Amino acid sequence: MNRSTEMMPGASRRLRLLGLLSIAALAGCSATRVEESRQSNTGMKTGEALVVLGRASYNDRETEVSFTDCISDSLSGGDDAIRLIPEQAFKDEFYPWFEPRFAPGSASDLELLFSQPGVQDRIDASQVRYLAWIEGDTITTDKGGSFSCTISSFGGGCFGMTYWEEDASYEASIWDLQNLTAAGEISADANGTSYLAGLVIPIPIMARPGNAACKALAAQLKEFLIDEEIPENR
Amino acid sequence: MMLLTSCVNSITVEGSSPTPLVKKIPARIGVYYSDTFKTFRHDEKIEQNGTWQIEFGAQNLTFFRNLTTAMFTNVVEVDKSPLDATMLPGLDGVLVPEIKKFGFLTPSVSGLNFFSASIQYRMTLYNAERQKISEWTVVGYGKSEASAFGSKEALNEATMLAIRDGGARIAVELGDQPGIDTWVQSLNPESSKANTELEI
Repeated sequence: MNRSTEMMPGASRRLRLLGLLSIAALAGCSATRVEESRQSNTGMKTGEALVVLGRASYNDRETEVSFTDCISDSLSGGDDAIRLIPEQAFKDEFYPWFEPRFAPGSASDLELLFSQPGVQDRIDASQVRYLAWIEGDTITTDKGGSFSCTISSFGGGCFGMTYWEEDASYEASIWDLQNLTAAGEISADANGTSYLAGLVIPIPIMARPGNAACKALAAQLKEFLIDEEIPENR
Repeated sequence: MMLLTSCVNSITVEGSSPTPLVKKIPARIGVYYSDTFKTFRHDEKIEQNGTWQIEFGAQNLTFFRNLTTAMFTNVVEVDKSPLDATMLPGLDGVLVPEIKKFGFLTPSVSGLNFFSASIQYRMTLYNAERQKISEWTVVGYGKSEASAFGSKEALNEATMLAIRDGGARIAVELGDQPGIDTWVQSLNPESSKANTELEI
């Protein structure tokens, strides 16, 4: 009993340090800004669905698959969950009209798309009401410091400090397939600096601006689709 | 280092083979797939990555079977090239797809954060008299980000996207190829009077 009592303060200190390290590893600061531009009424009836599509391009930058997956997961969960049709299933169903080379570039191309044989029938059958095209990416804008890990017969560890700053910038363009128009755009920008400190063990402090932008964009997109009215001051 | 340079990456490409939503040409078409087309495999050694063996003949064949069935009202596979066959009974024409080139890039070679693949197809259409009506080249391109998948999965995805892109171009751009419109109208002169413009 006495031994366990004497050990408790040291064990307690280790537990507190472990807790602090866990919080540091999980937490990070990201500043996020969301903007919305609405062009028409929206609203979703029971059974209507949304498709989230990542805009592919033939240059060296395109929307990450993980980001569109994050958007889809956020929209299909929680309160007011939206019915989603998976992107790949939708592309297969409407092949080749949503392949990168032939996908409509703007809402004004929807009329031409619907003139293709079978497209209107499949849209009606699937009850897809909106398409949300996601464009953007997360880039590293700055980095520095030095960090290294060594191991020897006497022991090992990591030492130093490095940081990197990321900027996540994404935009969702929402198209209404019932009215063949653009319903609006939502943009989300987030930036944050992540750190990796070496105090024998590596201690990450991650900002994750991409995740912050995803959550913010998805929340605004859900509100945009469910709300019906254009604000009076427009 | 010896282990790295002797590393062999083998991929058998797999993926979905959707049926295109395009207007069918009213024709009975034979399609000839050579053994090379059916079993296509690309072998390449890259200094930084070892040897790559990319096999996509089977997947490509499945894809083209779906593709041609969607493009024409009646499709049969023929076991001889129209240049070798003595006759083409009951057929309005024979289509011969070929793979002329395959190429790919890895992030270590391109310096970019994705794998990419391109496939060059040559399509040749013969009429019932075994005369060449049209011959055209289509390049399908695909890319897949390196961070989302392992390298094999990323290259599989890029190759599948290249197959899909090539198939899409073949289906959508068929009517733009020289000689095709005239050939289609020659198949059914009666219907060509009612449909003076063929939408393909």
